[in-house]
Amino acid sequence: MTVLDIRNLSVSYATPRGELKALREVSMTVPERSIVGIVGESGCGKSTLISAIIRLMAPNAQVGAGSVAFKGDDLLTLADAQMRALRGTEISMVFQDPMQTHNPVLTVGRQMMDIQYRDALSKAEKRKRAADMLALVGIPDAQARLNQYPFEFSGGMRQRIAIAMALMAKPSLLIADEPTTALDATLEVQIIKRLRELQDDIGCSILFISHHLGVIAELCDEVVVMYAGEVVEAGSVRDVFHSPAHPYTRALLECDPGHIKEKTRNLPTIPGSIPDMVNLPGGCIFADRCPMRFEACATRPAMAEARTGHKAACHLIKVEETA
Amino acid sequence: MTALLEIKDAVVRFAVRGGVFRSAGSIDAVSGVSLKIEAGQTYGIVGESGSGKTTLARAVAGLHHASEGSILYRGQELRDLPESQFRKLRREIVMMFQDPIGSLSPRLSIKSLITEPFRIQGMKDRDLDAEAKRLLAMVGLPPEFASRYPYQISGGQARRVGVARALALDPKLLIADEPTAGLDVSIQGEMLNLLARLQDELGLAIMIITHNLNVVRQITDRVGIMYLGKLVEEGDTDTVFANPRHPYTLALLAANPEPDPDAQLMRIELQGEPPSILHRPTGCEFHTRCPFLQPRCSRDVPAWQLDGAAAHRCHFPASWTGSEVEPS
Amino acid sequence: MRDASLPKRRSELGEILYHLVRDPLGLAGLVIVMLILASAIFAPLIAPYDPIALNVPDRLQGPSTAHLMGTDQLGRDTFSRVIWGGRVALQVALPTIGGAIFFGLLLGMIAGYGPKWLDNLIVLVFDTIRSFPTVMFALAVVALVGPSLNTVIVVIMVTSIPTYGRVVRTLTQSLKEAEFITAEKSLGASTPRIMAVHILPNVLGPLAVLAAMDIPTVVGLEAGLSFLGMGVKPPTPSWGSLLNDGYNLIRNTPWLIIAGGIPLILTTIGFTFLGEALRDVVDPKLRGKGGK
Repeated sequence: MTVLDIRNLSVSYATPRGELKALREVSMTVPERSIVGIVGESGCGKSTLISAIIRLMAPNAQVGAGSVAFKGDDLLTLADAQMRALRGTEISMVFQDPMQTHNPVLTVGRQMMDIQYRDALSKAEKRKRAADMLALVGIPDAQARLNQYPFEFSGGMRQRIAIAMALMAKPSLLIADEPTTALDATLEVQIIKRLRELQDDIGCSILFISHHLGVIAELCDEVVVMYAGEVVEAGSVRDVFHSPAHPYTRALLECDPGHIKEKTRNLPTIPGSIPDMVNLPGGCIFADRCPMRFEACATRPAMAEARTGHKAACHLIKVEETA
Repeated sequence: MTALLEIKDAVVRFAVRGGVFRSAGSIDAVSGVSLKIEAGQTYGIVGESGSGKTTLARAVAGLHHASEGSILYRGQELRDLPESQFRKLRREIVMMFQDPIGSLSPRLSIKSLITEPFRIQGMKDRDLDAEAKRLLAMVGLPPEFASRYPYQISGGQARRVGVARALALDPKLLIADEPTAGLDVSIQGEMLNLLARLQDELGLAIMIITHNLNVVRQITDRVGIMYLGKLVEEGDTDTVFANPRHPYTLALLAANPEPDPDAQLMRIELQGEPPSILHRPTGCEFHTRCPFLQPRCSRDVPAWQLDGAAAHRCHFPASWTGSEVEPS
Repeated sequence: MRDASLPKRRSELGEILYHLVRDPLGLAGLVIVMLILASAIFAPLIAPYDPIALNVPDRLQGPSTAHLMGTDQLGRDTFSRVIWGGRVALQVALPTIGGAIFFGLLLGMIAGYGPKWLDNLIVLVFDTIRSFPTVMFALAVVALVGPSLNTVIVVIMVTSIPTYGRVVRTLTQSLKEAEFITAEKSLGASTPRIMAVHILPNVLGPLAVLAAMDIPTVVGLEAGLSFLGMGVKPPTPSWGSLLNDGYNLIRNTPWLIIAGGIPLILTTIGFTFLGEALRDVVDPKLRGKGGK
C-alpha cells in the first residue's frame, strides 16, 4: 500500500510582485516501509511541498489543484482537528536546525512526555517510554538525561532527540527536512545509520529531503528530483544515479564534489539561475539552462518512462524510444 | 626563500569565565599548529566544528590574539603586532567570511562596501567609481550591482561581493572561510573556479577553511586536517588523498561518499562526538573516538611521522588499500 | 552571469514612503501628523484670533460660528489657543527629543561598544536618572530655577535620555557581534569609523520609530507639567494649561477641557499609528515579503 500519494499538487504564494507558483502539478508516491529522498536546490519547492503535506503553510499560500493522499485519505480535505490528530502520531517531522528545534526552557524529559498527551498512560510509563526512545537513538544514560535541558546537549545529540520524539508514536510517515545539513559529516554518518536501523525496526516510511547526494544514495530506496517547483525525475536510487534520464539530474551529479575524481581547475557548474516563478517562461522549466534543448522544449514535457519505475519530464526520452 | 606565511606552534587561548561554582580557566582553541604557505599557493585547512580552524584563520587575519608561538608573514612577526602597524598589512592579508550577506554592512551600497578598503587605508585620491566597476567585473558581477544593497542580492552574489571587497587593494594572501558553505552544488563550482582564476591572474595565495574534503581536493596544493585545535595530518594534497594515514582523515573521506548507491564505502565510523576542549583527552586526543584504539593511544602523544610528501601523527596509522581500510 | 533583474529601484526614503502610504494605519498617521505640523507652523495664518487677546465680556461662551470651540474664562478664543498651543507642544517636543536622541546615541553607543567599565558607569547613570519619578525631578528643578518652557524642556530631555540610551546600547551590543563588524575590523577600520559608519546607521531606524512613538508621551508630559503649573506661564497657551483652566471650570463649561484634550488625543493617535507603520517599514526584511 502507498503511504503517501501526491497527485498534481499545485501551490502558489501571493506576493506583491504577483502569484509565485512554487509547486506546479507535483506528483510522487511513498510506498510502505520505504525511504524516499527528495533532492533539489534552492527554489525547487521542497519546503513548500513539506508544508503542504503537513498543512502548516504560510498565510499567503494558496493550494490550487491536486491531492495529498495519506493512506487513502486526502489530507487537503481534512478538518483542522483531524489533521492535528495525525501530526505527531501518524505523520511526524524532524527539522533542519537542531539548535532551535526544542523548547529551551523545558527539560527534554518534560517535552518528551508532553507530546504523549494523547496516550492514556501513567506518568511513569510515559517517562519509561521516553527513556527507551532516547536509548534507541544512541543517547547513553537516558534516564538521567531526561532531566537535562536542551542546551546541555550538543547539536548532534539534539537531532537524535528530535528523531526520538518524532518516532516515539511509531508514525507511518516520518518527514525529515535536511536533518543532517547542519551537522558535521562524521556525525551525519552516525545519524543516517541510526535512522536506517530505526526505520527497519519500526517499519515506517521516511521522506528524506537533502541536497547531499551521497547521503541520498546511501540511505534512500527511491529518489525524486525537483527543479523550480516541478518534479523532473523519479525512480529508484540506482536507476536515477547510475542512468540519470533528465539533463538536470545529469548535470547535478556531475557537479557533485563527491563525484569528481580527477583534479581540475575548471569545475563543472550549471550556468544561469532558476527562472522567475512569478512570470514563468512557457515550456520545459529547465530549457534555458539545458545543454540539450531543442525545438520541442518550447512545450512542457510530460513525465515519460525511461524504464519501468523510472520517469523523467524530458522530451528526449520519447526521442530515444522512437529512434 | 622565505615562505609567504609561516605558522610555528601557534596557540590561541581564550579565557573561560568562572561562575559561582566554577573556577576561571582557559581553553586552547588552537593548540600548537605549524604550517607554511608559499606565495601563489593554495592551502586547505579541513576540520569539523570545534577543530579551531576558524580561530586559526582569524588569528592570521589579526582578529584574534595568538597567545604563544609565532605567525610570520614574509618573515615579520604578526603576534603581538600593534594594530597601528598591522593596519598596513591589511592591504596584503585579507579575509572572506562565511556568512555572505551577514558580512556585508546592511546600510551600505555594494559600491560603498567594496571600496571601503580604499577609504580605510586613506587612499581617497582614487576614482572609487572606476575601482568599483573594475572589482565587480573581476568577480563576474554586472556594474549595475554597485547601487544595490545586501538585502537585495542572493547568497552566491553576496559571496562574490565579499571576494571583490577582499581583492580591492591587490592582496597577497586571501583567507577564505568556508567559501562554498550554503551554496547549491550547481554553483559551488563557480565560486571555486573564480578563486582558481583569480589565483592564476593575480598570483594570490589562498588559505581555504572548510569542512568539505571534496572542495579541498580540487583546489588546494597542500592540506592540513585539524582536530581539537591540532593538526593530525598535513601535506601535499594529492599525497594525502591518495594515501590517507590518520584514522580521522579516513573518517572524513568516508563521510563524503560519492553519489553512487553501489559505491564501495570505506567502512570507518567514528563513535561519539568530539570531546570538550575544556577536558582534553590524554595522550592522542583522537583516541576517544578512534576505531583503531590501542592502549598506548591514551598514554602517549603521537609525534609527527613523515610519509613522502605528507605527515601524520598517529601511533598506528591505517592505510586505504583502495577497497578497504587496513589498520596498522 | 545572468540573473533575475530587479524592478526599478526607488531610493531608500522612497521605499519607506511607498510602503508607508500603502498601510492604512500608516497613511492615517501620516495625514494626522502632517495636519498637526501644518497647523503649528502656519498658526498665525490659521488661528482666527490672537490667543492672548482678552475679551472679558464674551467669556465662557459655548462653541459657535464665531468661536469654534467657545471662549475661556477671560474671553480668549479657545480654538486659537489650541492652534497656538500646538506650537508650544512642538517647541517642547522637538528640542526635547532631539536632545534625548543626541545624548542617547552618544552614550548608548559608547556603552554598547566600549569597555565594560565604561558600560557599567553609563548604565549606572541611566538607572540613577530613571529612579527619579519625573514629576518629583521636575518639582526639584522648578524649585531651583522657577517654572518656564525651558525648564520643561530640560526636565523631559534629561529623563528621556536613559530610554533612548538603553535602546541604542542594546542594539549596539548585538551589532557588535555581527559578522560585518568583524569584516570591517579585518579591513583595518578604526573604532570611531565602525561606530559612525556601520553601527550608527543601523541604529537610526529603530530609534526613529521610538522617537515617533515618544512624541505623544513628551507632549503629554509637557501638558501634565503645565497643568501642575510648573511649565509655561500664563498667558502663553499650551495644551496643558488649557486642560488646567478647563478642569477648574468643568462643571458648567466642559468644552474647555474637551478642547484641551482633543489635540492630545489626536497627537497620540497620529504619531502612534505613524510609529507603528514605520517600524514595519524601516526593517527592509519585513517589507511585504511573500513565501519562500
